Amino acid sequence: MNIGTATSEENPTHVYFGTRGFWITYTIIVLFCHFLLLSMPFFSTALAWTVTCVFHSAFTYIMLHNTKGTPFGTPEQGKARTQTTWEQIDCGQQFTPTRKFLTIVPIVLFFLASFYTKYDTVHFIFNLGALGLGVIPKLPQLHGVRIFGINKWYF
Amino acid sequence: MMNIIMATNNSFLPKSSDMYELIESFLQAPTYHLIFEALLIIWIFKLIFFSTEYRPESVLTEKEKAELIEEWQPDPLVPDVDENHPLLQAMEKNIISGKPDKYVMINDKSSLNMATLNFLGMAGNAEVESAAIKTLKQYGVGSKPDKYVMINDKSSLNMATLNFLGMAGNAEVESAAIKTLKQYGVGSCGPRGFYGTMDVHLELEEKFAKFMYCEEAALYSYGFATIASAIPAYSKRGDVIFVDEGVCFSIQKGLVASRSSIKWFKHNDMEDLERLLLVQQDEDRKNPKKAKVTRRFLVVEGLYFNHGDICPLPKIVELKWKYKLRLFVEESFSFGVLGANGRGITEHYNISVDEVDLIAASLENSIGSTGGFCCGKKYVIDHQRLSGLGYCFSASLPPMLATAAIEALNIIQNDSNILSKLRENCRKMYDGLSMISGVQVMGDPLAPIKHVRLSEISDNRELDMKTLQRIADQAMENGIAIVLARYLEKEEHKLPPPSIRISICFMIELQTMNKK
Repeated sequence: MNIGTATSEENPTHVYFGTRGFWITYTIIVLFCHFLLLSMPFFSTALAWTVTCVFHSAFTYIMLHNTKGTPFGTPEQGKARTQTTWEQIDCGQQFTPTRKFLTIVPIVLFFLASFYTKYDTVHFIFNLGALGLGVIPKLPQLHGVRIFGINKWYF
Repeated sequence: MMNIIMATNNSFLPKSSDMYELIESFLQAPTYHLIFEALLIIWIFKLIFFSTEYRPESVLTEKEKAELIEEWQPDPLVPDVDENHPLLQAMEKNIISGKPDKYVMINDKSSLNMATLNFLGMAGNAEVESAAIKTLKQYGVGSKPDKYVMINDKSSLNMATLNFLGMAGNAEVESAAIKTLKQYGVGSCGPRGFYGTMDVHLELEEKFAKFMYCEEAALYSYGFATIASAIPAYSKRGDVIFVDEGVCFSIQKGLVASRSSIKWFKHNDMEDLERLLLVQQDEDRKNPKKAKVTRRFLVVEGLYFNHGDICPLPKIVELKWKYKLRLFVEESFSFGVLGANGRGITEHYNISVDEVDLIAASLENSIGSTGGFCCGKKYVIDHQRLSGLGYCFSASLPPMLATAAIEALNIIQNDSNILSKLRENCRKMYDGLSMISGVQVMGDPLAPIKHVRLSEISDNRELDMKTLQRIADQAMENGIAIVLARYLEKEEHKLPPPSIRISICFMIELQTMNKK
């Protein structure tokens, strides 16, 4: 992925989520953050899992569904500036392995959080919200859709 | 102490997290939760094993793809050309015969030159130089022959090349070029930013800027590339360019390279332009956020090469200020021709150059050299020194051609007789041609390019071309060299009707005109 050379990708955001070592790095980062939360005093296991789940969803929402365009200085002159990062992955192709992986991670986190919170109702509400935030924008039916003009590109 | 922690835990958290209790709580989990998790697991399975990749935009099935592949016929790399193709025939019939080194000086200090791309030392080679001088003496500077031209060993009056001011055969220009050739060698061996800039380039830029009353000028090494690089240097994806339908091919290529959205208005039709501008204004009002970051350009030619008429600049300038446009004027054919001193369309209408944002002109017509220049405000032009692709990535103009251009400009400045003679010739030619029945002359009486079209244009383009070709052949037999206007017919945005293109030089005495 040599940016700015004659053979570079037109838009590296299309491919870098599927590059070698991305999945394992992603998993390690999530677990590391979880253990960091768990090591906090006054944080019980249950709270640590719920916070992991909510933070993960919020962070991925901002990075994948709120950030538009591509941060690389590419020769495509802002062709992708109307698209969110998620929409650019694999050039907009649906149900690719990368997309499946990124969709399944918040669901697995929801399972773990539910288990470790002992199916507590208050925790369940937060985790359910996080699950929705993590999964609903990723649905193929919502590709390119801006509900109520949220996150719309006006330029 | 222990009690306090226990109390806090009790109040808002499940007490413990050991595995036994967790499994216990799983077994006692509420039913709605278990059903929800089961649904999620089913969804994951479906996602992993049963969802196939697809692209939202593409609707082609495998079968359709196979059909498309089946239907596809490969084109030959080089298409078969008919032997009677007019271009091939023209090439056969109209053949014309007739007429930095090892050390380099930087800031008056001799340094070993390891920067220019002169690998074999050819740019300073004496044999190369003498061959160049020989050709220069035979053909003149800009490969554009004289008043009379030898075609197939027959002398004809030259009314085909765009040598309006006769600079290409001028002895003064030639001797200036030879002098520079002996001093600098043939080529410059590098782009402007990479040891390709010589003092003559800077001198030429300064001279053009002064001549045009502009702050700065940027010199290009190829006339076609001048406007084709200037447009995409400023206008990018998302910008809007309003452009006349009759613009020449180099502008069209510049528009394509800019990736902007192009709004074509009818040739020289200011009402149509205003209509498009009002539509744009409406759109901008609906979406002010977008309007704030959209640049709007207006590109016109001073003298239209494909039509021979002049653009209504006063009205264009008025619209420019009214609708906040950036105005680019292509003056390849009006520079050195229009206006009392040859300053082009702005002088012709007595409009200040500051009203126009950028003027681009080729030096290959009235100046009789090679290359082109853009001029305007300093901050506008300087942008091209890093963003004009033709400026950055082409070897700079050969120094001898730069001095030829300087000399030609000196002649224009010192001898206003040339321009008045050219204008007189243009007018006479216009009157003469309009008297001929069966054809009509297009464009302005003042223009040195006349397009002669048939009065009755048939539906068959080829037939019209053949008729016009016969007229041109007849003229050639009578000793007047004229050609048909040729276009890349499939590439042009709007193909002009077939015509004979007559170019007028100031040197021609006008008694030959009614021979046709």
